[in-house]
Amino acid sequence: MIGRQPQHRVVDVHAHLGPYSLFYIPDPDAATMVSVMDRTGTEVTVVAANRAIQQDAHLGNSHSLAAVDAHPGRIAAYAVINPWQDPERELERLAADERFVGIKVHPSLHKYPVTGARYAAVWAFAEETGCPVLSHSEHRSAYDAPSLFEAVAAKYPRAPIILGHAGITPAGVDEAIEAAARYESLWLEVCGSQMTGPLIQEMIDRVGSRRVLFGSDFPFIDQRMSLGRVVCAPLTDGQRQDVLSGNARRLFRWRPLPGGTGEDVDE
Amino acid sequence: MGLAMTDDATTGWFDARIVTGAHPSSLVPSTDRDAIAAHLDTYAMSGALVSAMASWLHDPLGGNAEATAVANSLSDRGVLACWTAVPTTPGELDSLDKLVAQALAEGVAAFRIHPHSHGYAPDALLDLYAALEGGGLPLCVDAAEIGWTDLDTIATRFPMLPIVLSNLGYRQLRRLWSALRDHDNLSVDLVDFAAHQAVEWLAAEGLSDRLLFATGLGVRDPGESIVRLAWSGLDDETVTRIGAGNAQRLFAAGGLS
Repeated sequence: MIGRQPQHRVVDVHAHLGPYSLFYIPDPDAATMVSVMDRTGTEVTVVAANRAIQQDAHLGNSHSLAAVDAHPGRIAAYAVINPWQDPERELERLAADERFVGIKVHPSLHKYPVTGARYAAVWAFAEETGCPVLSHSEHRSAYDAPSLFEAVAAKYPRAPIILGHAGITPAGVDEAIEAAARYESLWLEVCGSQMTGPLIQEMIDRVGSRRVLFGSDFPFIDQRMSLGRVVCAPLTDGQRQDVLSGNARRLFRWRPLPGGTGEDVDE
Repeated sequence: MGLAMTDDATTGWFDARIVTGAHPSSLVPSTDRDAIAAHLDTYAMSGALVSAMASWLHDPLGGNAEATAVANSLSDRGVLACWTAVPTTPGELDSLDKLVAQALAEGVAAFRIHPHSHGYAPDALLDLYAALEGGGLPLCVDAAEIGWTDLDTIATRFPMLPIVLSNLGYRQLRRLWSALRDHDNLSVDLVDFAAHQAVEWLAAEGLSDRLLFATGLGVRDPGESIVRLAWSGLDDETVTRIGAGNAQRLFAAGGLS
């Protein structure tokens, strides 16, 4: 029996906010997201507004900050950096505004490779500050296939990079695991429509439970889909808690996430 | 006042889609007889509807025996078989009427079709739809296996045929809405029913009787729909209706009570 009350502390490091043109999303607003978080045991969610990733990074980043202001302690913001939309300006904004706790890039949507010069300032900033960077990663993508991040990690070894979706497909997960096994600065994030509990177990078997992060992509996709894969996966309690919140608390140190009991943060 | 929410509301669910047999291109939990029994135990489920992976990916009609074997071995656990049909083709199948009659005689509770995977047009199964409508057996189909126009045609021509759409994903609410609005005989199960707040949205629109709990064990991670429904924003009564009540109504002809 699963019961109706969650038993875990959750930090969601991969989320969005607002509508998306390709399909209808019921109630994609921040207040509804927080109501879902209340049902799932989610302490804090780090969002990158859909407006920012899909169309206008600067304007969308303002939407993310408005959500932070409306729900202090529950929502934190990524600054979306679009390599075609004045990335230096958004990096300066990120540096100056402590409501941003990380960077989000989406190379597949923005059609520009993670190894390209337009992203260099992002990796350099993360290298210098320890600011986490969440990137979409997708098997066989010319822009963000997991293997491409190995070159970035080799050049910027102190830049913490989260491979969003961990490559998406089962074969992509294998590739992401290989990359993360070679470079300790690469972290694996578990949301994706083809993800399963056994695949998450393989991530943990190969790189350990301390570099696998829970994310959901909500409200792009319902948060409970990804959460269910982790909650029901054949993990130890310690592994599960690492994935659901502990690792996020340890990773987001440049600007610590709000909330938390301190139980998860150790060396 | 908050929603009525008790853990008891998460017991007794009927899993309206399990696929038994190995999956060739995905890393998913096992689905042999013992694994299905353990799945039912772990989540205190009242039963399940089981079809065969072989019917989808190897031998459409021959695989039905594998579904029936699992159902028979777990009949005391409320497990029912779902068979697969294909169009009549000399050497493969003589009569859809006879196939449905055989299925009813063997206690089969529903049929599944795979027009896209099995290479035929949905209108090649008109005899099947008529026989199922007459026998009270639901027709199950994945969203990827049939177009919305074909689905609309079938649901219109056979208004008493219960149709269960599965594996909708997260990008199709605009089309789903019009289909549910236009066809009272259409339901959707929770296998990869992934759009944000879609369960709550449909329930708020008065359509909770058209939602069916199912995990897709064998083709999906079952944790998705288990947690989706258990930690939904619905009251206990609605959770129980989606978890079990709607299945009891839909699969009554196959012996579910």
